[in-house]
Amino acid sequence: MNLLAEAVGFGLVDAAVIALAAVGLSLQVSVTNFINFAYGDFMSFGAYVTYAANAAGLNFFPSVAVGAAGTGLLGVISNWVVFRPLMRRKSRTLILLICTVGLSFIVQNAIVMIWGPNAEHYSVTVGNALHLGPFLFTPGDLILIGVAFTLLLALHLFMQNTKFGTALRATSNNDDLAQACGIDTGRVVMWTWAISGMLCAVAGVGLALETNSLRPTTGFNELFVVFGAIILGGIGRVYGAMLGALVIGILTEVSAMFISPVYSGALAFTVVIVVLLLRPQGLLPSRGRSA
Amino acid sequence: MLYFIADLLALGAINAIMAVGLNLQYGQAGILNFTYYTFVAIGAYIGAVTTMGHPPVPASEETFILQWNLPWPVALVLAGAVAGVLGLFMVLVVIRRLRSDYLAIVTVSLGFIVWDLITNYVPLFNGANGLFNVPYILNGATASEITYTLEVFGVAMVVLAVCVWVVRSIFRSPYGRVLRAIREDEVVAASFGKATTSSRVWAFVLGCVMAGLAGALLVFYVNAWNPQGFLAEESFILMAAIVIGGPGNYWGAVLGTFVFVELLSEIERYLPNFGNGALVGAGRAVLIGIVLIVVIRFRPDGLIPERWLRWYRVPAGGGQGGAAGSQSRGEPRRRLGWPWLGQRSEI
Amino acid sequence: MLQIQEVEFAYGGSQAVAGCTFDVPDRKVTGLIGPNGAGKSTLMEIIAGGLTPSSGRIVFDGTEIQGLGRIRVARLGIIRTFQTPRELTRLPVMENLVFAAPNQIGEGPLQSLFRRSRWAAQERELRLKAESLLEWVGLTKLREEPAGSLSGGQRRLLEIARAMMAEPKLLLLDEPSAGVFPAVRKLIAERIREMVERGITVLVVAHNMAFLSDVADDVVVMAQGKVLRRGTLSEVRADESVVAAYLGGGHVGGTS
Ligand SMILES: Nc1ncnc2c1ncn2[C@@H]1O[C@H](COP(=O)(O)OP(=O)(O)OP(=O)(O)O)[C@@H](O)[C@H]1O
Ligand SMILES: [Mg+2]
Repeated sequence: MNLLAEAVGFGLVDAAVIALAAVGLSLQVSVTNFINFAYGDFMSFGAYVTYAANAAGLNFFPSVAVGAAGTGLLGVISNWVVFRPLMRRKSRTLILLICTVGLSFIVQNAIVMIWGPNAEHYSVTVGNALHLGPFLFTPGDLILIGVAFTLLLALHLFMQNTKFGTALRATSNNDDLAQACGIDTGRVVMWTWAISGMLCAVAGVGLALETNSLRPTTGFNELFVVFGAIILGGIGRVYGAMLGALVIGILTEVSAMFISPVYSGALAFTVVIVVLLLRPQGLLPSRGRSA
Repeated sequence: MLYFIADLLALGAINAIMAVGLNLQYGQAGILNFTYYTFVAIGAYIGAVTTMGHPPVPASEETFILQWNLPWPVALVLAGAVAGVLGLFMVLVVIRRLRSDYLAIVTVSLGFIVWDLITNYVPLFNGANGLFNVPYILNGATASEITYTLEVFGVAMVVLAVCVWVVRSIFRSPYGRVLRAIREDEVVAASFGKATTSSRVWAFVLGCVMAGLAGALLVFYVNAWNPQGFLAEESFILMAAIVIGGPGNYWGAVLGTFVFVELLSEIERYLPNFGNGALVGAGRAVLIGIVLIVVIRFRPDGLIPERWLRWYRVPAGGGQGGAAGSQSRGEPRRRLGWPWLGQRSEI
Repeated sequence: MLQIQEVEFAYGGSQAVAGCTFDVPDRKVTGLIGPNGAGKSTLMEIIAGGLTPSSGRIVFDGTEIQGLGRIRVARLGIIRTFQTPRELTRLPVMENLVFAAPNQIGEGPLQSLFRRSRWAAQERELRLKAESLLEWVGLTKLREEPAGSLSGGQRRLLEIARAMMAEPKLLLLDEPSAGVFPAVRKLIAERIREMVERGITVLVVAHNMAFLSDVADDVVVMAQGKVLRRGTLSEVRADESVVAAYLGGGHVGGTS
């Protein structure tokens, strides 16, 4: 029982990181309608920029902000240079998907070229573990969960209460219609890339903190767990992604504890496949498309 | 230098088999298979374990299944068959239910699962260590390195010729046309009563068989089976090479793989290591990524588009043989100018 | 030839087809009209096997075909065109046509490899046939162009030729005259009449009254998923309920 609680606790920390990334990706997919294989590398990029800023003497939290801003910018630039022209041409989903793979190559290996292939570490530590009821958390874990929660809540409020949030939701429902209603969908898409980039940078930092190492492949290796979360939640459904993250985070930690840690990756993939096959619309009940 | 060229040729032929197979899957049938190398790995594994016999030294602690001692041509066929059967299983489960982009995610995921199993499950695959001492084929054990390389090249060329014959026949046949129709618009193909599922399934399986064959040849050539050589990244690079070369046109696919999979990695091997040690390899991947995106942006049909294939524009009344022969002998006629500027007058 | 009986279909919550019943008589052109959003395309899709009705029956030549799926419906001889033309954009016009022919010998993977002489002979005939169909719709010169480079009118014509290539018994045409020049519209109408003379039954959705009066023997008016009225075009146009449905059916958009 104690072990289970501990595993669930670790799972919560995982889930916080995955949720940030999954919500960011889900947001982007819901607006652009293609799946982004470069997203994991965006996570690494954010984590590395944070690392660089931190190494250059900036404090840790401002560094994270720099990393987030840098990754948001990377998203906007990618959209501008790569995806916008193709979307204008009404390219097929598959072609856009292949482009994201190309982008993933570029980002991941550019990281290798700039920062080298070896693992780096942040100068901050997560502190010593302490017991909280049945759970076992480090102060770093708690901050991570808190940050993730705050960011997601802020995003929620932003989506529900601002004009831009409404425009974003409209665009993700039906971009032609949104455009017809006078929404500048190009701007919405741009900001979506920015927001999703910022979220995934924070997720990347969290990931590097949690595993206490940062490699060029850190983000890419986590990508399929993130896919798992958004597929569980229903592709392109932002709130579903949070739920998916929770499920997959806890599932992988519990299985790592009770089966074997080496197969926890395989487990995430199996979940992805099984869910895609049985319920491609995700776990939540599907909503009707029209009123 | 001579050896370098021979090596390039042998690997080139093997890579060309993969290119032709993957091109059948993606270029013709429109299935985005991001885990093609998994099937290459499977073929290689089967090729290894069916020819290695018992571990030469009992204490060498290599563990693997079968431990057969088959003649290599049989092992080769078996490797293709096993890869094909596994491909069949995979595709049957997923193809009907999934949109093509989800299918891509599933292929990557399956590749990772297989890879996880291989590297972690020692009894079956000898774990991440891979297999060594895969026997030479032909007289490789006694011949000089360069002779053996050329021999493997010869065998690979024969296999390649068969594969190209198959793919070419398919491309030119009504079956190939159905595949292309499905690739362009599955709903339209179904609306004309074409067997959309089985057509794609068979194209996929044939592509996997070719992967298996290529894998077995590869393992005979390098005499070892190393899971590290079959990472997902390789599949991505192969796919990128095909998109760059020209999906749908097997020459484009072969050219793309030759340049981007092989030549670049060979050149990389001979470049001095500078910078942080991984700079050259990373630079190659960045280059591939950039070329990929630039090609998709400015030359969406690839460097050698499908429409350049000679048989592609078949004259009226021409059947199969006459088609290639009569009208457009030699260089395919390339239409100059942009399609939307010409011949509007009629309507 | 085709009977549609009490067919219902809803997208999520919205009822697109709400109990439709009518017949499509043999060797006649039946027009299907109605305001935007009346459910015409949805009904066509249901007949073609792309959607399964939640209730009701569709009987073709005495057999029930609802929910059979596109492929089997097509193989029975029901061929359709699309409201927005869907040609195989990167394939040449010629390939677009030949592909549509039913029962090609070389369509199986094994046959393609080992029955070459047989399919090659058939292929020759099909190409001749495609050639004559191209002439029929005036696209001969564009034979080798990728279909994606055609203009809107040319695409409509190509779709019609392609449908003919499939040797249909029943042809479903979804707005074949939308967005084309009057001259092309005339040509399309002429071709549809010729098809009927060759023994094909046609169900055609259209908004253009001039076009309909050229082609349709009979029209069915749909509004809000139901059949409102059936009769000749002039009868229907005189009907007040039809006029009302067009003007104030609760839908935005005109009747173009
Ligand atoms: N894919 C879909 N998802 C949800 N609702 C749909 C979908 N397609 C159509 N509808 C709705 O179903 C109703 C019927 O649409 P349908 O396309 O059949 O009309 P139509 O008579 O063909 O109209 P038009 O003249 O504009 O072609 C409309 O209210 C439309 O909004
Ligand atoms: Mg319609």
